Amino acid sequence: MRNVLAILIPAGAFSRTEAETITAGKSLAAQLGADLSVGILGPSDDSFARECFAFGAKSLTRVEGLAAYQSEAYSAAAQQIAASVAADVILFPSTTYGLEIAPGVGYRLGAAVILDCVGLIGDSSGNLTITKPVYGGKANSELIARQGPVVIAMRMRSVAPGEKQDGATGEINTIPAPALSPRTQILEHTTEDTGSGPKLEDARVIISGGRGLGNKENFVHLEELARLLGGSVGASRAACDQGWVPATLQIGQTGKKVAPDLYLAVGISGASQHLVGIAGARHIVAINKDAKAPIFQVAALGVVDEWQALLPKLVVALTEHKARNS
Amino acid sequence: MLHLVVCLKQILDPEIPPADFKLDPSAQRAAPTASLVASIFDENALEIALQLREKVGDARITAISLGPPSAVDVLRKALSMRADDAILIREEDFPGIDAHGCARVLAAAIRKLPPADLILCGRETGDWHGGLVAAFLAAEFDRPYTNFVAGITKEGDHFHLRRQTEDGWEIVRSAAPAVITVTNDDHNLPRIPKVKDNMMAFRKQIPAWTASDLGLVPASVAGPNSKLEQSRLYVPVVDRKCEIITGDNAEAKARQLVERLAALQVI
Repeated sequence: MRNVLAILIPAGAFSRTEAETITAGKSLAAQLGADLSVGILGPSDDSFARECFAFGAKSLTRVEGLAAYQSEAYSAAAQQIAASVAADVILFPSTTYGLEIAPGVGYRLGAAVILDCVGLIGDSSGNLTITKPVYGGKANSELIARQGPVVIAMRMRSVAPGEKQDGATGEINTIPAPALSPRTQILEHTTEDTGSGPKLEDARVIISGGRGLGNKENFVHLEELARLLGGSVGASRAACDQGWVPATLQIGQTGKKVAPDLYLAVGISGASQHLVGIAGARHIVAINKDAKAPIFQVAALGVVDEWQALLPKLVVALTEHKARNS
Repeated sequence: MLHLVVCLKQILDPEIPPADFKLDPSAQRAAPTASLVASIFDENALEIALQLREKVGDARITAISLGPPSAVDVLRKALSMRADDAILIREEDFPGIDAHGCARVLAAAIRKLPPADLILCGRETGDWHGGLVAAFLAAEFDRPYTNFVAGITKEGDHFHLRRQTEDGWEIVRSAAPAVITVTNDDHNLPRIPKVKDNMMAFRKQIPAWTASDLGLVPASVAGPNSKLEQSRLYVPVVDRKCEIITGDNAEAKARQLVERLAALQVI
C-alpha cells in the first residue's frame, strides 16, 4: 500500500501550480487505492486550505513558524511531513524551489528521484509508470518504479487541474518548523519587468520571437501584437542567450512551459528543446521564411514569409477585425 | 586560494534536427547519429567559474568528467577555455551507473583533490535531463545547494549567487563550501578559446582515474534510481498537419491568417 504526499510551496495565493500538483497526486492516489495527503511549506491561510481540499486533498499538514523560502529549512520540513504521514510517493512542483529541494529530500529518504515528468500512472500493486521527456524532447522515457520510496516532480502545465469540489473538507495537522542554522539566505528577490501582459504560464495568447528577429529592438513588433490580442511576449532560448529579452521570457525545456490557446511563433525555427515548452498549446501558428523549419511540423497554421513584411499587415488586419467585432 | 571544481559531461549534440535523431536498436538510448559535445549548461558552469577567477584573482579551476575515453575532448576544450587542470574518470568502470552512483563517484574524485570551495554543474544534462547529480553531490558532502545560478561573486567568506526564478532573479548568500547548478544567461555564454590556448590544451596531460584509483567497488555506488526499469524509450508521434496560408503578398496572407484565427475563436 502506497501513501501519496503532494508538497506545495506557495508563492502567495493558491495558484494553478498547486492545483496541478494536487490533481496529479489525487489521480495517482486513486489508481493506487490510497488517499492523498498534502504538505504546505511556508505561510498559507484558511482559504488556501479550502482550495487544497476542493481539489482533492484528504488531509493537510502545515508547518508552524516556517517563514519565507530557505532551501534547508523547507527540505527538513518536507522530510518531517513525509515521515509524519509515512509517505512513500512524494510529489513536488517543478518550480525553481521545488526542483531545488526535491532531489535532496529524496536522497535523504533513500528514494528514487525523477524530475520534470509528464506522465504518472499507478496500479493496484503499487507500481508506478512514469513518463519523462529525454533528449531535448525528441524521445520519451517510460520508467517503472516497483517498490521503495519515490520522489517525483511533474512538469509544469503537463497536468490539467481537475474538477473542484467546493466545500470538501479534511483533517488539518500542524507540525513545528525544524530548528536548524541555515547556510544560505535569500538577500534580494527582483521581479523582472516582463511587459504588461499576463504571466506567460497563464497567458491565453503568446507571441513569441526567436533568432529570426535579429535584434532586441524588433521585439517591439511582438509587443504591439501582444497588446492587440491581450497576450504576452515570449522567446526562444536563442533570443534570451543574445540578451534581446530577459531569461524570464524563455520558453522551452529549461524555460517556461506554457499552455495558451494561441501560440504565435515568429522567427522561431522550432528546436526540440523549444517545442517541449509549448506542448500544452492548443493552436500553434508559425511565421517563418524557411518552409523547412521544424516549427511547421507542430504548427496548425503557417505563413512562409519574412516577418518584417507580414507583421505590419497582420497588425492592420487584426485592428480591422477588432473594429468590426466590437 | 579558491578551488573551483566544474563537472562536465559529454553527450550527443542535442541540437541535431529531429529527423536525424534515431534510437539505438537496444531501444534503451539514442543511436550515435550526432557528434559529441559538452552538455548544454556545463560550459556555462565553466564560464562562470572562469569569471569568478577573473574577479578574485587567486583561484584554481579543476574540470572533471565521468565518461568514456572520448570525453577527453570535453576536458581539452575546458583546458583551452583556461581551466587549470582536467581529470577524466573512466565511466566504463561503472556500468549502468545511476545518478546516485555518478554523485558518489564524482565525490570520491573530488575528495582526492585539494578541498573544493565551490562545485559547479550544469542545471541538467542535455541527454537524460536528470537534474539530480549536483543536488546529490551536495547531500554527499553535506553542503548548501543552490540551483539555476547565472553569476557569482565572492563576498568575504560567502558566495553571492545570482539565481534565476520564475519571475526574475534572486541574490542568494551561500556559505562556502557550496554546490551549485548553473543555467544559461546572456552573461555566461561560453567563451571561444584562443588558438594558443588550444595548442596549450593539447600538450597537457589528462589523467584517467579508475574505480580502484578512487577506492570504489563499482557495484556499491548504485542508488535507488538504479532500481527503476526503463520499460520503453520511444519517439513520440506528432501527426499535426500544418495548413500553409497562401496569398499573393503579405497583406493577403495576413488577412487570410486573421480569418483562420477568427474561425478558431482564438482572437
